[in-house]
Amino acid sequence: MSNSNSSNLAKEEQKLAFKLLIPAFLILIIIALYPLGQVFYTSFTDKEFASSKETSFVGLDNYKALLSVSVKELEPIIDEETGEQVVDERTGEKQFQRPIRVLPRDPYLYRPSFEFSFFGNRYVVGARTPDFIRSVWNTLIFTLFSVFFETVLGLIVALVVNSEFKGRGAMRAVMLVPWAVITVVSARMWEWMFEPTRAGLFNMLGDRFGLIETSYSFLSNNSLQLPAIIAVDVWKTTPFMALLILAGLQLIPNELYEAAEMDGASKFRQFFNITLPLLKPSLAVALIFRTLDALRVFDVFQVMLSQKRYSMASFNYFQLIQARQMGMASAIGVIIFIIIFGFAVLYMKSLGVDTE
Amino acid sequence: MTRDQKKIFKKILFYLVLAVIVIYLLFPFYWAISSSLKSEAQLSMTPATLIPRDPDTGEISFFTRNYRAIFSNGGFVRGLINSTIVATSTTILALLTGSFAAFALGKLRFKGKTPALYTILAMTMFPQVTVLSGLYAVINALNLSARVSMIFTYLLFTLPFTTWVLTSFFRDLPDEIMQSAQVDGATPFQTFHMILLPLTAPALVTTGLLSFIQAWNEYLFALTFTSIDPSSRTVPVAIQFFSGEFARQEPFGEIMAAAVMVTIPIVVLVLIFQKRIVAGLTAGAVKG
Amino acid sequence: MKKNLFLVLALVFVITFSGLAFADSHGEEISLTVAGGAVGQEKELTIKAAEMYMERNPNVTVEVLETPDLANDRLGLYLQFLEAESPEVDVYQIDVIWPGDLAEHFIDFYDYGAEKVADKHFQAIIENNTTTDGRLVAMPWFTDAGLLYYRTDLLEKYDREVPETWDELEETARYIMEKEREAGNQDFYGYVWQGDAYEGLTCDALEWTYSNGGGQIVSPDQKITINNDKAIEIIRQAAGWVGTISPTGVTGMGEEDARSMWEAGNALFMRNWPYAYALGNQEGKPTAGNFDVSPLPAGDSGKSAATLGGWNLGVSKYSNHPEEAAKLAMFLAGEEVQKMRAVEGAFNPTIKSLYQDEDVLEAVPFFGSLYDVFTNAVARPSTVTAPQYNKVSELFFQAVHSVLTGGSDAQTAVEYLELNLMDTTGFETGEPLQP
Repeated sequence: MSNSNSSNLAKEEQKLAFKLLIPAFLILIIIALYPLGQVFYTSFTDKEFASSKETSFVGLDNYKALLSVSVKELEPIIDEETGEQVVDERTGEKQFQRPIRVLPRDPYLYRPSFEFSFFGNRYVVGARTPDFIRSVWNTLIFTLFSVFFETVLGLIVALVVNSEFKGRGAMRAVMLVPWAVITVVSARMWEWMFEPTRAGLFNMLGDRFGLIETSYSFLSNNSLQLPAIIAVDVWKTTPFMALLILAGLQLIPNELYEAAEMDGASKFRQFFNITLPLLKPSLAVALIFRTLDALRVFDVFQVMLSQKRYSMASFNYFQLIQARQMGMASAIGVIIFIIIFGFAVLYMKSLGVDTE
Repeated sequence: MTRDQKKIFKKILFYLVLAVIVIYLLFPFYWAISSSLKSEAQLSMTPATLIPRDPDTGEISFFTRNYRAIFSNGGFVRGLINSTIVATSTTILALLTGSFAAFALGKLRFKGKTPALYTILAMTMFPQVTVLSGLYAVINALNLSARVSMIFTYLLFTLPFTTWVLTSFFRDLPDEIMQSAQVDGATPFQTFHMILLPLTAPALVTTGLLSFIQAWNEYLFALTFTSIDPSSRTVPVAIQFFSGEFARQEPFGEIMAAAVMVTIPIVVLVLIFQKRIVAGLTAGAVKG
Repeated sequence: MKKNLFLVLALVFVITFSGLAFADSHGEEISLTVAGGAVGQEKELTIKAAEMYMERNPNVTVEVLETPDLANDRLGLYLQFLEAESPEVDVYQIDVIWPGDLAEHFIDFYDYGAEKVADKHFQAIIENNTTTDGRLVAMPWFTDAGLLYYRTDLLEKYDREVPETWDELEETARYIMEKEREAGNQDFYGYVWQGDAYEGLTCDALEWTYSNGGGQIVSPDQKITINNDKAIEIIRQAAGWVGTISPTGVTGMGEEDARSMWEAGNALFMRNWPYAYALGNQEGKPTAGNFDVSPLPAGDSGKSAATLGGWNLGVSKYSNHPEEAAKLAMFLAGEEVQKMRAVEGAFNPTIKSLYQDEDVLEAVPFFGSLYDVFTNAVARPSTVTAPQYNKVSELFFQAVHSVLTGGSDAQTAVEYLELNLMDTTGFETGEPLQP
């Protein structure tokens, strides 16, 4: 008797689950199926955006053009008289061959993307689309640092806001301010703060405190570009992580902390033994979405760095709008998708989050 | 150190950290406010001043024309209305659909949860720019109005978010609640909307707020979908249309004024809802 | 029999009469949309011109649709419309570098009688708007060219002349900058321009190379000419300005940043478009009444070069009423409307005769000095390298930018640039054309 009851219940649950999932999947089919399908399909063609040129099926050509990489060694330039490697007088750097001489040119031109040193030898990484390879690197670095800082800062902010103190309510509102400022406007605001003269906030402060001699152009300086963008994003998105972590913190029952206090555990131990483990599911979800958004970063790169340094999504944009290569842009979209998917699975497995 | 001294020290440290956080979060916004009160001449001053000053005399001088300009600009006010409509609708839709799906994925027993979760997540794994032209084609084919298109397309990123967060919250709710409710004779759906949903209120408010702001901030889709229908422009698009007097001129002061004006309603919204963010599990249901 | 004949006659009569009635299609209502700029007076003046047109053509309603001012946003929007072959917009306001890329979507104005008016406009623009098969795909609407702004008060104070060569500019800038710094203004610099890595740098750098005899990057007969000594020399010279007479931050400056520094009184010379003239004279700014404009300095070619900017009007092929739309576009680009826009909005006309018109010169006196600049303006190779101009421009400004920031020396950068351009366009190399 109880068997058929429980199997009835199970069947009822299945039916209910099905019904509950219908709205979500209906929306998915209407708004996602065609666009996403079109992206996959177009990535295998050479379609041009807003062009009457015939579109033909090119198979994996777009992918090959984007991902083809070639690593070549650069020979040192030896001074014929002394037999030693030439050193540039101005910079003091050792001179190597120019990449233009070693990178392949037929049937496709490979242009230099990076150079690196390994055990005293110098290598150049050439690619058919060096901007794309660089954009992948930029995006990964950006994601790594911004997610890291946002999580740590978000955790600190959440812990602080979670404790009892006067003005807690106001603090929760203050916490959201950066997230609430419209992204494109926030990017312009920071762009102005980075202004390369003393009219810009950072140059003004640096000058006032005697930290810098001349004004820096943060967004044109190769080594300052990524840190600047990361700073902007961390400012903007810390509230997102903080709020999600805060919601997770709320779920941890106070009794656990009280019991630990009574047992004489320090705040430190309480944090590591109670807070963190119980926070894992919320942290996992927050991390997944934050990483997803970071890998797709577009607004901040497009407004502040435009064509100086690309993220995968901003490179995608310029391929579509300026070069009008829709086939290639779609291929980029698919590659981004695969990278994000990989990260999602990685998170789920390593954080031990159960989906069943 | 004595225990009291230790306590005071900890308190001071705490407030110090709090102060640093507040400055970090609010200073750029303060800079936006101060920029919004500067005229062009004041903005070009070197070195830049923390408080708007007259370029010649150095006295404090506020320039309020920027604010007057944005309010006389009908587009801005209409943008606020449109943004509110679109963001609210898409958030409600995302929360409804998301919570239904989350209940199924978090509490009910059936096969195929992982593929379902990943499929929903996949919706948001593409950069916006890539799916833009496909979406535009769908909108045109279905002949949807600008606002409706925005409401539905924003679900591309709000729906997976609400679904996943709520699924995790539902899963964490103790099974005993469901079981005791079933023993009392409630159907699963009744358990859902009468008992479980209220318990996840903090999660609902949190995801709702975050989704609302994400929809509020969205620019690319809004720009394309409202291109032929300027009356349905949302705020980010309206701000981009702020024109100076001449081409190439960026009326920075006005843009900052708009940014300030747009952020304030959100802050007010949060102040209203912030108690709900921290409701926490009520004792009764759990102890049972 | 008579009855039948009568019926037949009646029928013929009715058919003929109704035929005449239907033949008169002038009663048809036509609605046209112009997509254009929303900046300041741009929209007002376009609406005013549209109203003028509607008065004279009562069966036509013209709507003005505003589009974003940021070039990429506007282009993205236009591309969406064109991809969807949308009949929503009939007339497009397009940047001077877009006709080559978008040519296939626009009608040929020569089909609608444009020969009669084509030579009233600056030839450089007309040539730029005609594609390889001789189709005039856009009517010039208003134009822009790079100018040298200089501080009259400072030149007077130190008894210096307006520079006519780049070397003179460097020398004067260096001297006055030193003096002004000694006097206490530590933010003062000699020359500000657009050095950020974007289309604006292509404009500035093109001016350097062309004025120095280094060519136009890609010559009108489709040869890649950038790899020559003159071009390399001037780029190297410009890179020398960074950190000396120009701030190091100039490598991150666009038009607005340069204007901001200029208007704060922190620059002796500025290279910018004409729009900064009226803004610089606004009350309360240190520059008000203290500056003037002149053509940019010349290099080894002996002639000054100014990059051509501006906007044109194209008519979409997908419009439901291409003939009416073409008429509208030609009206908007016509003498009457251009004069109105010059007088009321300081928009630089593209019709040559207006630069000698009394009313125009009264309203905007400095237009008189611009005539020579516009007749000799150098166009970017957008039509020559179509549809790859954007890529060509990107390669060019990235190359120049790397020299400006010290990331690469001029010769290597230009050699690479030549290779990249050959790869992108498939063109051969050749000798640069002289101005």
